Amino acid sequence: MADAFFFKDEQYLLNRCTKYLARYEVDYRHTYSTDGIQRPTDNIAEAWRFPIIDAYAGGANTVTSPDDFDDYNEVTFIHAGNHAHTPRSVSILCTFTGLQAAIPLQPVSFLGESSRYWSITFAVPKGQQHLYCFLVDGVRQNDPINPVVKMQDNGVLWSQFFTEDFAEPLVLERWEIDLLSRLASTIAPFHTDESQNFLQRYYYGLDLNTKLNQYSNVYRLDDSVGEVNYIDNLVAREERHRLIDYKLCLSQIDAVLRQRNPYTEPVKMSSETYDALYDQMAANNVPGWDTQQYGSPRYFLYLLRRHVAIGCFAHPKYGGNNNAAGWAYLGERYTTVPAGPPGSGTTLFDWRRAIEPPLGLNNDYHG
Amino acid sequence: MIQQNFDAVIVGSGAGGAPIAHILTKAGKSVLVLEKGPLFRPECQTQNGRSDFKRDELISDGPEKRIQIPAAKNNGASYYSSHVEPDLNDEPHMYLDTDGSDKATIEGYTAQVVGGGTQLYGGVSFRFSPLDLRLQTFNAGRTDLQQDPKGEVEREARDWPISYDDLEPYYTKTEELVGINGQVQNQQKPFSRNVYQPPLPPNDISAVAKDGMEQLARQLQMELKLANPINPYRTPLAVITQDHAPSGRKVPAVADTLKTSYVNRFGDPLGCKSSTWVSLLSPVRTSPNFEIRCNCVVTRLTYANGKVDKVYYNDPSGVERWVQGKVVVVACSGIESVRLLKLSAAADSGFDQAIHQNDLLGRYFLTHCFGGASAVLPGRYDKSEALDADWATDCCAIQEFLKARGLWAGGAFYNNTSDQALPLSLFRTMGAQDLDSLWNGFMADTSVRAQGFIDYLDNSFGRGLSVSFMANQVPQRDNRVELHPTVKDKWGRPVAYVIKTWHSHDIYLMNTYATVAGQILTLGGGKLTGFQLAGQGASYMAQNGIIRIANHILGGARFGTDPADSVLDVHCRAWSFDNLYVTDGAFMPTSGSGNPTNTIEANSFRVADHLLTRL
Repeated sequence: MADAFFFKDEQYLLNRCTKYLARYEVDYRHTYSTDGIQRPTDNIAEAWRFPIIDAYAGGANTVTSPDDFDDYNEVTFIHAGNHAHTPRSVSILCTFTGLQAAIPLQPVSFLGESSRYWSITFAVPKGQQHLYCFLVDGVRQNDPINPVVKMQDNGVLWSQFFTEDFAEPLVLERWEIDLLSRLASTIAPFHTDESQNFLQRYYYGLDLNTKLNQYSNVYRLDDSVGEVNYIDNLVAREERHRLIDYKLCLSQIDAVLRQRNPYTEPVKMSSETYDALYDQMAANNVPGWDTQQYGSPRYFLYLLRRHVAIGCFAHPKYGGNNNAAGWAYLGERYTTVPAGPPGSGTTLFDWRRAIEPPLGLNNDYHG
Repeated sequence: MIQQNFDAVIVGSGAGGAPIAHILTKAGKSVLVLEKGPLFRPECQTQNGRSDFKRDELISDGPEKRIQIPAAKNNGASYYSSHVEPDLNDEPHMYLDTDGSDKATIEGYTAQVVGGGTQLYGGVSFRFSPLDLRLQTFNAGRTDLQQDPKGEVEREARDWPISYDDLEPYYTKTEELVGINGQVQNQQKPFSRNVYQPPLPPNDISAVAKDGMEQLARQLQMELKLANPINPYRTPLAVITQDHAPSGRKVPAVADTLKTSYVNRFGDPLGCKSSTWVSLLSPVRTSPNFEIRCNCVVTRLTYANGKVDKVYYNDPSGVERWVQGKVVVVACSGIESVRLLKLSAAADSGFDQAIHQNDLLGRYFLTHCFGGASAVLPGRYDKSEALDADWATDCCAIQEFLKARGLWAGGAFYNNTSDQALPLSLFRTMGAQDLDSLWNGFMADTSVRAQGFIDYLDNSFGRGLSVSFMANQVPQRDNRVELHPTVKDKWGRPVAYVIKTWHSHDIYLMNTYATVAGQILTLGGGKLTGFQLAGQGASYMAQNGIIRIANHILGGARFGTDPADSVLDVHCRAWSFDNLYVTDGAFMPTSGSGNPTNTIEANSFRVADHLLTRL
């Protein structure tokens, strides 16, 4: 049977373990959330890096055609043993492989000797999320270095990961996403008539498969280029410490808006309502805001502003900037003068020149 | 059996260590390089043709983290670091701020990766001038110096124990082996040979800076009564533009596609930026007498019989190991080198006495006086097609200029090209003057939203042009690196504590040079309708201006001819050790009139030749 797993070279693995995991001090140095509550993985740096999600370019027997590589990520699981106890075996159970059989990790060596790290790598399609756990000497445990976990309906907690281009809600609820979309629309530069025209033309120009596979979420409400999807991805992993800010503030905003107009669902309120709310948040004076729950609406607005801007213009693999629509917007808006109709003129942001195919046109750089 | 004994053990694989590793390996000596960071390889060296470096704006300044150091007054502040910069909560640099408080900073770190700072730097590769190396002589008896009421310039300036002529062959060697593109003509430094690769065509926006530099040159020619104007030249950049025989590297079929603006703060996935890994270490990596142990942090050196006896390091699992070298070279970036020596002294009284044969270790810490000016041009340019800098001028580094302005030393000017070229870099550096304040300006300018966001893009994207200067800083005895009394790193070791101020003459110099940077832009762009000078200023003005370092980490273990006045001898050997050398920027007695990497590399090639005489 073809194997979806393989093993990366030790240099690659140690490169990704040492900075974050190797240490003597086990104090909680990495508690970033403003509530100050320490999480179990706060004693390592950048715990969100585990498992390691990377570009796939061969290695698994299940995906051997270079034409398919861009549809997959490499997902590398690391188990870090401790000095007191060296496990005899570490294996992984994962929904990706069907949970039937535990697949053993291999020890990672350094200078020909075993290090404390074990690893295994899978080729996993982009846009997926999976649950997994380790069996350490046969005993089930969730991944102690991955902070992302998900509770199953039966009450069992599993470690979770998701690959690039993931476009389903992860940690925000539907109503939160809808509300966030409206808020994001007060910031992102894509809600003028002109920008909307651009986006419609741009997405219309994509081939059907691209639209179906990757951008089915684009038109949900006002998530113009996927910036809200980006935020959901981000607060599920890299800035997980900011999830609490979103939970508290979206709840506040929902309540504030309902207070103002008890007869309309907040997501259906006018853009003027949202603009007024934006201005009040900017002034740090939002009537009805419970500062006991969350001290500064302006602080949250600042956070949101940063996240929306990144979601519009970061590399699309992070879940926003769908099909590089943000970059394409800049590329089309800024051209040599005199510009004719849209699309004429030479662009003054030729982003495709530097970026890897299939998104970009640089054949030397592979992403 | 793991090899434990080597001819040379080199701590750090960047500009200070790699040239020595390269030369000694080629000469057949057994060499071990210990590098704290990972080995991130270009595409051509990986299993699957994918590099660990990406053209991805979220890799250079990543997700938010927050400082969690109770002893720091900026505890709780957000920061956004590169994937190869240290985690501040695991190993911060602390500094003493003007209000007497301690703060943590990302300033003063070069990248922790094989290649060190040369992986992320913009590649600007100036030579220092002959004058830079004899500033004591130049300033002796001067009465015209501005803003130096106590005569400290004359008292503290030091000539280097080597001359430009001593260093010149090694500059040539560096430019040849590392792989640098540039232009000799118009540089005010003697060149025995031109080994530069040809520069790529400049970005169109740089024509304004070039024009301004040329007009300034004509003005200064008249004012200073020079025979000829001192015109600009293409900034030397450590990026190969042609296939590079010494390192076996190849450029893409169309070399111009290397202009991506994913340059400064980005490692190069194609390996065309001349990091010390691709240029110097990789070519010798298969030699049986060369070994590099990555992800290994050196924790201390021990002393016996006038020598460094053992070099202790923690391996990638955190297991302590040791090695021995006939010579030991410390080159792990100035602040960290001083820290390593001080940590070793704290743990070993013999080492302590030997390294503290005077009290100068850590003192005369230096960076550069730097700053510049920026403008918004009426036209728009595709700034995403750029390397880091296009044009440079030495016209304000000549003696005539310095005497006319009452300045103690010179500096180089160059126009940045890739700055704010990409969307996220534009946003996150809005109003931010350093790495500690990224995003703050954008987050707080709440008028930048919806149509206001579009207006902001219309007004700024592809329109910003800046000119920077990089100049000598006055050495001050109390500018220093110590061990912090309470803050410990993730290994339980005291972290570095940087204490520095700007001298009043530094501030005068920066103001003078910032005005010149503004002049260059105004001269070049002033005739364009709609030209706006956006601002001019200098590093000392930033919110945390006292700690601005620009990652030019220099001094702290200066070399000299007098054991009472220096930490290192002329060969960069610690005076009371037979076999301990320090070859990163820490050796510099003055900081030079330009970005320092080229000089650190050249000096290391020089030290390598010395080491060959004794190994």
